[in-house]
Amino acid sequence: MGYDDYLAGEPVIITAALTGGVHGKEANPAIPETPAEIGEAAAAAEAAGAAVVHLHARRDTGERAFSTERFQAVTDAVRERTDDVIIQHSTGGTGAPLSVRRQPLQTDPAPEMASLDMGPLNRYDHLTSENPRGMVDELYDEMSERGIKPELEVFNDGHLNEVAGLLERRDLEEPVYATLIFGGGTLSPPHPRNLLNAIENLPEGALFNTLGFGPHQLPLTTMGLLVGGHVRVGLEDNVYYRRGELAESNAQLVARTVRLAEELERPVATPAQARSTLGL
Amino acid sequence: MSCPYLEYRSSGDGYEFDTERPFCTVLETFVQPMRADICTGRYALEHGRDCEIYREHVGDGSD
Repeated sequence: MGYDDYLAGEPVIITAALTGGVHGKEANPAIPETPAEIGEAAAAAEAAGAAVVHLHARRDTGERAFSTERFQAVTDAVRERTDDVIIQHSTGGTGAPLSVRRQPLQTDPAPEMASLDMGPLNRYDHLTSENPRGMVDELYDEMSERGIKPELEVFNDGHLNEVAGLLERRDLEEPVYATLIFGGGTLSPPHPRNLLNAIENLPEGALFNTLGFGPHQLPLTTMGLLVGGHVRVGLEDNVYYRRGELAESNAQLVARTVRLAEELERPVATPAQARSTLGL
Repeated sequence: MSCPYLEYRSSGDGYEFDTERPFCTVLETFVQPMRADICTGRYALEHGRDCEIYREHVGDGSD
């Protein structure tokens, strides 16, 4: 996919990353943390134009939770409050072992999609999210068994090699769907040329989603719209609406993306259109 | 083992929350959720090894 898809008017799939697990209400009090808050945020994001919601679960203290029970509560709350939005569970979990990381895949029903981190990245000064190939393969196999579409999270260009490796080791259903991620530390440096370069290095036929952290969310997702990609916005990735002004909600960030897409004459995909595009 | 500088508070650093949250008494700020897994020693994480704030505070900040 690429610029031709933009010219052809291919609908853009907007993913709303509602809560995450790295930061919480200490960073922006509008971040939803409880199942009810996440459900309400999902409904508002869907109403604003999101076709996919990317979900994490938390403890009552706002801390990260990975248990099937906690994810079940979140996914139930989202299903109760939304119409048709696609549910995507995170399997990310810096420091957590495979036995913990696979639990978000075991809700009933299973999520339609789940994230799959493609390799290592550093956190803080002394912590690494290792994501070794064996763990990636095990998580992928469980997704495959449960009919869950993987969203391949590419945190840097080296992870594009890991995508190629996964495609050699496993028979992924088409289309391959990869999120290109830009930010600090061990992530791809957030610059337009690096987005174009990453797109060039995607496997043939792969679809891509564009994710920029912090102040890079707005410019890089806007660029993603123009080069035919899909986009992810939300408070997990960026707590500000503009410099010095906290975002009021996930829906506010989704609504801005919808306005940009409409100005650029890029249709916004409904959940049904997104299912068709992603082969769900 | 939890970090000795970890407390759970519902207010502090200019914030008020409905429930108690992890709070770092070295920095006098609420702790990011992911960092709190280091503070609490979950998943074999260990503040003496993994937290630069603790290490610097106790004088072991160099690698």
